[in-house]
Amino acid sequence: MTDSGEPSAASDPAALIEAYFAAGYTDGLPVVPPTEKSIADTLAAAGLRAEEPLGEIPSRNTRVTAEKAAINAVMAGCRPEYFPVVVAAIRGLCRPEFAYHGPASSTGGSAMVLIVNGPIARALGINAGNNLFGQGHRPNATIGRAVRLIMMNAMNTRPGFLDRATLGNPGKYSFCFAENEDDHPWEPLHVTRGFAAEDSTVTVYASNSLYQVYNQLAATPEPLLRCFADALANLGTPNLKGFNESLVVLAGEHTDVLRRHGWSRRDAQQFLVEHARQRVAELKRGARLPGEVTPADETTERHVFKAPEDILLVCAGGRAGAWSACLPGWGTKWTRSVTIRVEGPTQ
Amino acid sequence: MKIFDPTAAASPRPLGLAPAPPRLEGVRLVLVENTKFNSETLLRKLADRLGRKYGTVLSVVHRKRSPSHEIEEGVIPALRRQADLVVSGIGD
Repeated sequence: MTDSGEPSAASDPAALIEAYFAAGYTDGLPVVPPTEKSIADTLAAAGLRAEEPLGEIPSRNTRVTAEKAAINAVMAGCRPEYFPVVVAAIRGLCRPEFAYHGPASSTGGSAMVLIVNGPIARALGINAGNNLFGQGHRPNATIGRAVRLIMMNAMNTRPGFLDRATLGNPGKYSFCFAENEDDHPWEPLHVTRGFAAEDSTVTVYASNSLYQVYNQLAATPEPLLRCFADALANLGTPNLKGFNESLVVLAGEHTDVLRRHGWSRRDAQQFLVEHARQRVAELKRGARLPGEVTPADETTERHVFKAPEDILLVCAGGRAGAWSACLPGWGTKWTRSVTIRVEGPTQ
Repeated sequence: MKIFDPTAAASPRPLGLAPAPPRLEGVRLVLVENTKFNSETLLRKLADRLGRKYGTVLSVVHRKRSPSHEIEEGVIPALRRQADLVVSGIGD
């Protein structure tokens, strides 16, 4: 208690939580107050020393140390064994090809989507099934939250300052899930990116929205994937100039349609490259391109994607239901998704 | 109980600004264009105005990979040789 009779942070856990709010350290939700032990346990779970650097963002003059990352991970509610995943994600954000400054600062308000593959996803119980993007799973909720808290607190990415999101999106609180490798028609995402199936990885990807794609009638891949192509090429989508990268998450029923017809990952990607397009006339009518519509514009088309690799195809979500999702990216000119191996003594 | 500080302050690198040219007449101008919509248009208009008013000479228009990326370190020495004045910085 303080002299005035108010509860103090020294004796009252609720007051301590309030102290973290007062210091401006939270994302708007209460945090778990760290202790010397919880920080030490978290560092030990990844085999890191406190002062060890995880990465830096030169354009922001910021450097993330393991200790600061661990403090934020505890605050987010992570168990120590989650920390290697958090560390890999931060290393991914700091890779030059991710080009952090753009997607972290832009008015587009990207969430940092974390896709976990390999044995660690199963070991930690990261949800890859029902309610994939929803609530209820501690590793999904807290690993993603830890990454955002580290961005805010240790990577100079505070809303209104170097986070200039016009709208942001709820995924900015936390966005983490695993691919469903147990019921997958193809090789999982990390294997397509050069890792072994037994490797554990995190793929970091900047996306400013998520919209669900519905089709309960399609019994063959073509009509189903046309719905995705249309969703990926709608006039409001951020990048329509052919330097796009998008994440498509296929859930159970839609995955089955592709599997039953023997479509490979490459077949599906190629179909989307060919069909995600807009006529120049429509782009001009929607003021996504400047200039008056000419007769040639009615028959000239622009493709949203250049190559199959520009579409990240991930299988996850519930078995039942005719729903999947598209998550437009921030554009390959500005940033690229990065896949990083998860390392540490718990691996 | 102790409050642990989760923040890491940015450590600013010392920045040495080149002295401004004593006069603009005849200086060589380099534009660093960041690929934002209308960035090149705006910068070229500025270069035109400076050219008409002070006789500056547009030496190079360098295009960055994207607004997300810093200018490539290797390009800087060449621009330094080609420029007395560099103009950059276009937002939305």
